[in-house]
Amino acid sequence: MGFMVKSKNLKYEYVRTFEVNNETRTETFLALNNVNIDIEKGSFIAILGHNGSGKSTFAKQINALITPTEGTLWVNGYDTKNEEFIWDIRQSAGMVFQNPDNQIVATIVEEDVAFGPENLGIEPSEIRKRVDSVLKAVGMSAFKKYAPSKLSGGQKQRIAIAGVLAMQPKCIVLDEPTAMLDPEGRKDVIETIKRLNREEGITTVLITHYMDETVEADKVIVIDNGVVAMEGTPREIFVQVDRLKSYGLDVPQVTEVAYNLRKQGINIPADILTPEEMVSAVCQLKSII
Amino acid sequence: MIRDITIGQYYMVDSPIHRLDPRLKLIATFVYVICLFAINDIYTYSFSILVLALVIAASKVPLKFIMRGIKSIFIIIILTAIINVLTTKGTHVLYELGWFTVTMEGVHMAAKMVIRLIMLIVSSSLLTLTTTPIQLTDGIEYLLKPFQKIGVPSHEIAMMMTIALRFIPTLLDETDKIMKAQQARGADFETGGLMQKAKSLVPILVPLFISAFRRADELAMAMEARCYHGGDNRTRMNTMVLQKTDYYAMAVVCLFVVCIFTIMLVM
Repeated sequence: MGFMVKSKNLKYEYVRTFEVNNETRTETFLALNNVNIDIEKGSFIAILGHNGSGKSTFAKQINALITPTEGTLWVNGYDTKNEEFIWDIRQSAGMVFQNPDNQIVATIVEEDVAFGPENLGIEPSEIRKRVDSVLKAVGMSAFKKYAPSKLSGGQKQRIAIAGVLAMQPKCIVLDEPTAMLDPEGRKDVIETIKRLNREEGITTVLITHYMDETVEADKVIVIDNGVVAMEGTPREIFVQVDRLKSYGLDVPQVTEVAYNLRKQGINIPADILTPEEMVSAVCQLKSII
Repeated sequence: MIRDITIGQYYMVDSPIHRLDPRLKLIATFVYVICLFAINDIYTYSFSILVLALVIAASKVPLKFIMRGIKSIFIIIILTAIINVLTTKGTHVLYELGWFTVTMEGVHMAAKMVIRLIMLIVSSSLLTLTTTPIQLTDGIEYLLKPFQKIGVPSHEIAMMMTIALRFIPTLLDETDKIMKAQQARGADFETGGLMQKAKSLVPILVPLFISAFRRADELAMAMEARCYHGGDNRTRMNTMVLQKTDYYAMAVVCLFVVCIFTIMLVM
């Protein structure tokens, strides 16, 4: 199978409790409704959606932290509902969470990176090799003896990525990994992710609400109210500015500028995604005048 | 600033004692403490003190740091001394004080107890001064492993200690933030009596607990995502291997025990 992740009519329901006027009520909530998503091996997929759209729920499904109520999800060929394969699934699809503080277990960087392989029961000498090489891959070798509490948010998030990489997964799912970081840390983390996808060929599923991070993705999937609302290349998705806005999403800054310029009657391509493209489009415009 | 606190009282310096295997240090401390309760006469006392002094010298930890531990239990030491002096019955009466009589035996007993207590504290703080909390955790996990059969959760205890150590700085940071946030809204933690101060802690503790539970929930999920399934079939990257010096140290510990008992038998 050429697919890393494949979902068929995936549904996920959960019961949520809430309080109204000191009264506890429960209701079943359909977080994912008939989701069909295919993610090819080695690709870089971005999943967009506003808060509560179901995008994080889908991420947790890939790691078998939750399993479908109806429908099926295959990860690396394993059915996530089959308990027997749960460790194989979690080993082949690693997950990085939003809050860097709440996913680091050990008190020393290298010990934390070793946590995953230790759980898999790998030989100590092999763990040592892996830890050294993944710390190099995320550019954190110099910090291997540090306490995580002494690192910045971006550095901690790169350690979390290294911790997942040390399990040698085929796929990494990142659930809003940059949401709590400053711009500098965000840049470091995104660059690391992109490089790993390019150089190591690891399938990457990036869940985010920063549009600029998704521009280089192979495919963008928009989830709204538990259903796949849009699917396509970034260029195909981001030209539909009005539709994206109706889902409570933004477009990359330069795309928005192009959109507004076109509204003003200036003849500029609608599918501009990067500042470089914008510069060349504006320059061409100038040469015509 | 709050980030720079060191957990435990580890004193960082390179010494033969620091380099010893944590398991060996734990056992040695345990053996030494047991011996402290067995010794009874001037010869064994002086021998134990001499050995402890030699170990302290080898550890390169300044005496100031070692004495710090005694300071914190100073009141207990004084109380022990007073109780022993007043309650021990004997024949050589030195002084009579109402219902109590101070005897020569009482004074001897008090001196022995105080010295014993001080040595107890010094030897155990020497362990924590020369071993990092992480090494201690690993050592405890290893030493408790044989007791797993009778239901001692050795891996779980070690994992809990690790997570606690990992989250102390994080939660301290958080406490600091919550305090500042409450102060910005006019909370007052400084004035008032004891009750008032205790009450003013509630607005700090409630958010802190809520956030700690949320963190615990997320951490549990992150650990599961990284294939954590308890201590079975788990390996460790850093395995503890006994070095040549560890064997020498082991011989020293055995020699110490033999000497103590020989002295006790001969004298």
